[in-house]
Amino acid sequence: MDLTWLHLCALVVLGAVAGGVGSLTGIGGGLIITPILTLVFGVPIHQAIGTSLCCVIATSSGAAASYVEHRLSDIRLGMTLELTTTLGAVTGSLVAATLSREALAILFAVFLSYAGSTMARRSFKAEAAEPSLLAPYKVKRLPLGLCGSGGAGMLSGMLGVGGGIIKVPLMYLAMGVPFKVATATSNLMIGVTAAASAFIYYSRGDVWPLITAPTAVGVYLGAALGAQLMRRTPSRWLMVLFSCIMFYFAVVMIWKSFHGGFAR
Amino acid sequence: MNDLTEDKARSAIAAILRYGSLISTLVMALGLILVLLRGPVSFGPGGHLVSFRTLFPRVTHLDPATIAEFGLLLLLVTPIFRIIVAGIAFGLEREYKYVLISLGVLAVVCGSIGLAMR
Repeated sequence: MDLTWLHLCALVVLGAVAGGVGSLTGIGGGLIITPILTLVFGVPIHQAIGTSLCCVIATSSGAAASYVEHRLSDIRLGMTLELTTTLGAVTGSLVAATLSREALAILFAVFLSYAGSTMARRSFKAEAAEPSLLAPYKVKRLPLGLCGSGGAGMLSGMLGVGGGIIKVPLMYLAMGVPFKVATATSNLMIGVTAAASAFIYYSRGDVWPLITAPTAVGVYLGAALGAQLMRRTPSRWLMVLFSCIMFYFAVVMIWKSFHGGFAR
Repeated sequence: MNDLTEDKARSAIAAILRYGSLISTLVMALGLILVLLRGPVSFGPGGHLVSFRTLFPRVTHLDPATIAEFGLLLLLVTPIFRIIVAGIAFGLEREYKYVLISLGVLAVVCGSIGLAMR
């Protein structure tokens, strides 16, 4: 199949939506790109995941720049956790190659459901009163954090997601890090995590440049626009909508797995 | 780390991330526009560029698909440069524990590139 202007625009739009949602909610980049590439564009799931990983780097790098400058990211904590997160990512990417398309699709669907329910729950919970961001905090339970980050890295390498959906609660709930610092640090870490596995996907031929490049360009634009357009957190109904869409994708992917939809 | 040096380090890290993603996106966009202008090119796997011997001749001959792929690679190495800059910043501030940690992370990522190039 040839690359046409139509394909290009469609992929850029896909990327922009993913970038926008990802930068606004902290969840979504990879979780939107892979299902749509597989279900709508017919890209095999391993290659869709390869594309998604590269796009995750685009979202992370763009947003992380501001977070770092505004002193929100904990660079030291992020670097420390990246030790295990990168090891997990490399492992995950190697494991993914051994899995069949159906198995990977089902795993992805399970993760999608988890992400969808997290988003739904988050939309109904009022944001807890945040102590001053400049108040010093002490990082607790680092060993647990390292293990959890390893797991998040593995998921990232296997499913092409950022892993923020695990890293943020890990840092915020278990390690005593303020919520916004956790989000900012997670954003910073995601780029390195994805890079650790992206090269392996790339060398396997699982990154198709003519699909990945337009999507990544779209992600960059969407993330930049998203940050400009909406200064406040998205409305709760928008988040409920996104979580419904995620559940829908999860169901379709499971259904397709069992009905030979991913057969070569 | 005193505040002034911390701010400079943060600015350097932010700059790498910001310009890395911007430049790679521009190169990708350029490659894609050239691909479309020069006529149809079919989708297919990348992965040719892991060998640098083939990369530079194809880029300098302005092969559009390769330019897009090169932009993609620039995107992928941006986080690596971020680690290096952070590591240097830690070193300048004599936070050697974090220099070691940065080297560790760099080792894992370079290891993955090594695996990829096999």
